[in-house]
Amino acid sequence: MTLNILHVTAIAAAYTGLLFLVAWYARRRFEQGRSLVNNPYVYSLSIAVYCTSWTFYGSVGKAATSGIDFLMIYLGPSLVAFSWFFVLRRIIRISKENNVSSIADFISLRYGSSQLLGSLITLIAVLGIMPYIALQIKAVVTSFALVSGVTERTITLPGADSSVILPTGLTLAVMLSIFGVIFGARRLPSTERHEGLIAAVAFESVVKLVSLIGVGVFVTWYLFDGFEDILFRFHTQYPLLFERLFTLNTTQGNDVIPSSTMLFLSMGAIILLPRQFHVLVIENADLRHISKAMWLFPTYLFLINLFIMPIALGGILQSGSTTGADYFVISVPLAAGNESMALLAFLGGLSAAAGMVMVESVAISTMLLNNLFMPVIVRITPKQWFPLLLINLKRVAIFLVVFLGYFYYRAVGDSFMLVNMGLISFLAAMQFLPALLGGLYWSKGNKIGAISGMALGFIIWCYTLLIPSLYAGAPDSPIMRDGLFGQALLKPTALFGLTGMDMWSHALFWSMLFNVGAYLVCSLLISQSDLEKEQVRRFIGKFETERRQVKSAAKRLSKPVTIPQFIGLMGKFIGPEEASQAMTTYLKGRMIDEEVMVPEFELPAMKRFVERTLAASVGAAAAGAIMDSYLSDMGSRMESVYDIFSTVRASLDQSREALYVRLKASEIINRTLDLQTIMDELLQLLLKEFRLDVALIQIRTSSDVPLSVQSYQGCDRRPINPEHWYLESDPYIKMAMIDQTTHFVNDIKNLQAIIDLSKTSSEGFVSFAHIPIYREGEESLGVLSVYSKSIIGLFTEEFVGLLTSLTGQLAQAARLASEMQAKERERREKEQALLANARVKRDMEIAEQIQLSLLPAAPPVLFGIELAGRCYPAAHVGGDYYDFFKRDDHTIDLLIADVSGHSVGAALIMAEVRTLLRAHSSRAVSPSSILGVLNSQLYEDLTRAELFITMFYARYSAATGRLSYANAGHNKPLIHRQGEQSCIELDAEGLILGIKPSMIFEERSINLQQGDTLLFYTDGIPEATNRTGELLGTGQVCQHLTLQSTLPVDTIADSFFELVKEYSQSTTLQDDVSMVVMKIVA
Amino acid sequence: MWHSTRHRILRRLHLRESWVIFFVLGNVMLNFPFLKIFNQPSTLFGFPLLYLYFTVGWAISIGVIYLFASSVEPEPGDQQTEEQAPP
Repeated sequence: MTLNILHVTAIAAAYTGLLFLVAWYARRRFEQGRSLVNNPYVYSLSIAVYCTSWTFYGSVGKAATSGIDFLMIYLGPSLVAFSWFFVLRRIIRISKENNVSSIADFISLRYGSSQLLGSLITLIAVLGIMPYIALQIKAVVTSFALVSGVTERTITLPGADSSVILPTGLTLAVMLSIFGVIFGARRLPSTERHEGLIAAVAFESVVKLVSLIGVGVFVTWYLFDGFEDILFRFHTQYPLLFERLFTLNTTQGNDVIPSSTMLFLSMGAIILLPRQFHVLVIENADLRHISKAMWLFPTYLFLINLFIMPIALGGILQSGSTTGADYFVISVPLAAGNESMALLAFLGGLSAAAGMVMVESVAISTMLLNNLFMPVIVRITPKQWFPLLLINLKRVAIFLVVFLGYFYYRAVGDSFMLVNMGLISFLAAMQFLPALLGGLYWSKGNKIGAISGMALGFIIWCYTLLIPSLYAGAPDSPIMRDGLFGQALLKPTALFGLTGMDMWSHALFWSMLFNVGAYLVCSLLISQSDLEKEQVRRFIGKFETERRQVKSAAKRLSKPVTIPQFIGLMGKFIGPEEASQAMTTYLKGRMIDEEVMVPEFELPAMKRFVERTLAASVGAAAAGAIMDSYLSDMGSRMESVYDIFSTVRASLDQSREALYVRLKASEIINRTLDLQTIMDELLQLLLKEFRLDVALIQIRTSSDVPLSVQSYQGCDRRPINPEHWYLESDPYIKMAMIDQTTHFVNDIKNLQAIIDLSKTSSEGFVSFAHIPIYREGEESLGVLSVYSKSIIGLFTEEFVGLLTSLTGQLAQAARLASEMQAKERERREKEQALLANARVKRDMEIAEQIQLSLLPAAPPVLFGIELAGRCYPAAHVGGDYYDFFKRDDHTIDLLIADVSGHSVGAALIMAEVRTLLRAHSSRAVSPSSILGVLNSQLYEDLTRAELFITMFYARYSAATGRLSYANAGHNKPLIHRQGEQSCIELDAEGLILGIKPSMIFEERSINLQQGDTLLFYTDGIPEATNRTGELLGTGQVCQHLTLQSTLPVDTIADSFFELVKEYSQSTTLQDDVSMVVMKIVA
Repeated sequence: MWHSTRHRILRRLHLRESWVIFFVLGNVMLNFPFLKIFNQPSTLFGFPLLYLYFTVGWAISIGVIYLFASSVEPEPGDQQTEEQAPP
């Protein structure tokens, strides 16, 4: 089988088709949810895109010419893999959190999302990758020529008359670009993982490995007899070369690159090359894959390099020289006649090149789009067709990158060996190292430092490496020989007189020196912006609390933006449907109701979310610029929130300050129970600590009573009338009372359309808050309102929280105060009742005393009779009265009376009666006329006092033995006559006193005999009740009188008392017991 | 026995410091001092000294990384033996 163009092309095309198939299959699996790509083996194989056709061809070439130091390019990454667990994981975590889309994004994110830095990195990447892509094109073109037997670089299509000449390189470039577009620029969001791309890359890593090992096995055991055989033969044939190849050359020179340089460069390149960053970080599916990749990838490198040396040696042995050593992998099998092996090798090389170009172009086009194109586009207001424009720009960028490589290839291709071309790109990528490492581990590293360092390094790279490479074909041109402007010190390959180094080490030294130096110097001398400091925190993960540092506390939007507006903005870049979908998911996650206005505190977080979403499509720096320009169009911007504590106290510890205020407030509340004092002092505290201008408290005592201002502190003391400016805020106040949340306005300007606050703002107020005063679970008691004339944005979440807790305490104090008042009232009432009781008791005691004083001390003595009078007052004062009047030596008047009512009034009436009786007793009037006179004289008083008197008046003349008597409704006295069983009742007609103004009383008389015992009594005796409620009754009284009649009068009187007591079976009397006992003895 | 030794080694490796040590060690072994030692044109078993040094050293370092990675994420096989430890 002879290979010709058609064969090779066909096979190449078939291989391409296979790649597409793999990619398509992987995408399908991903969409089904059974991802092929999401595992550590595929991840490790995708990292192996590090091995390009450089590995395939260039390594052999280098091994054959300078020896074993080619291995350094692979030992470096193997060594660095150690650090992946820490460094790489951190990078990936940060990148995922921030939707980082490329290495430019990542680095610029750390330095305050600097767009300048991003653009610089992109520029370096684009120019730096030129040599690399060029070497791929060169490798494929040359190997294609070898395999298909075509020696020219152009292809003539057979079968055409005037043969169409296609430059192979150009065709290849076009094909590779199309590859890149198809695999990498199908959709816009650059942070999406490209499952198809990665699957294709992993597949061809396998093809690379298999192919190279295949050729290696072929050479080692088929052409020769194993490792020892090759070594032995080589050693015998070329002993000097053997030595040289197997030792590291420690002399420095123009063409000899020291192994340490290569080691260092490769250690950086494994992560700094855009495509490596892309597959390591952006395309990483799972952080856990890293631990497997850490050893899988070095294993891959080990295996793929295992046979390089044998192939190189075999090639030299076979061909006799080292020319064309780069392509030994193909030429050796070809020369041995094995075309299929050669074809396999070609496929491997093509694979390697295609993989590299695909991934690299995708990575760099993303950077170009986000960092170089977007800043220009952002100045134009977003239009509807933006998504389409962006995706096509990305595709254009891919073509651009590949074709730049192509032109470099045309310019430089023949002058260098493959490896050396690659090293130029490595060095360009190296310029990112200080900024990246510094960004991750040095908190002081700042934007200016990064930009200046990188810019200087880049310039030096250009001058000492890129330009000389372009002139490599013409080493005698003036610049190369004499330096810039003829200055020997500025000679590109011997800058500042540093001669004797190879071009690469020389460039490495100078670029790193200036890069790192500028980075360090600028970072130390210049301080960071607030935004940078925040990024430092996120990247390095430590929270720095320096005393001097201004706390980058939360920010607020000066003018609120609504949800539909945010959705509109996002929609312009990712499409309206996706935008609202994303917003809905976000809102659900934050539990914000879409219908309601977004609470002010949520706005900064929402802004960040929108920015992140935009960054997924256009990169972080561009997203930031878009957001800023959008907000400024709206008239809003992010402002620092006012730190209420920092201007008042020296200490910056916010929580301590809050504690202080709370403590003072508690003091105020607990110091006194007087609510008014509490309110006044609390408001004074607020005014003083927070520099407010007016604070007032309104309270209502119950829900049907309107609020009234209880305390007003601050300036503009004015009588509270309906014209007062604070009434304009009434809607807020009402709302606060009802829904028991704080309503505040941070900037009065934003409200003018909604509610009329003309008086308030003309007074000069700019912000205010109304905080309801209530206890948990109860109705609002009132509202605390605070106003400020000078500070916008005063009411932060923390401040509102503090005020709320203060009002909570206030509500508690108010509750306590009202409870205390109620208790006080109760106590007073009880006291009153007790006093009233006591008063009543005292009244009664007075009455009793008066009553007792009215009674005669002792009965008068009259010959022939014995008299005894008794009055046993009851607990309740009674109104019993008895008296004796001795008219002359043998005439005596007796009376017994009972005044109704138990009071001082009754006792006084009794005193009046006594006086009247004394007045009339001197006249010789009959008992009935005495009663009549008494009646008419007492009638008015008795009626007025609503009292009445019963009275029995009797006159006894010892000379005649006659008793004449009259009765005004009183109990009929009893007489016990010796020898008679029943008692005689003395009855006379007459109404009780006080009924009619004038009355005639009947008078009767009776003759008394010796031994008669008379008993005058009041109703206390007969109306004594026993336990069962039975009355004693006059019958019993008579009986008792009969029994006792023989005893002396005092004894009789006492016995009646005993009788009553015994009968009622209680020691306290219910009514007065009064009696007069008279005995006729002679 | 192999498992327990391995486990012990793994546990020792699970230190942040250990990776720094290995990293530095690797650097040192690929640089001037050590390289000079092995940079002789002599052969060992027919293999050039430096070649052998790189190949074997590389293989060992991969082994160390493998151990380190496993120490970070203990394998399920390891845990099973622990549970089945004889009383």
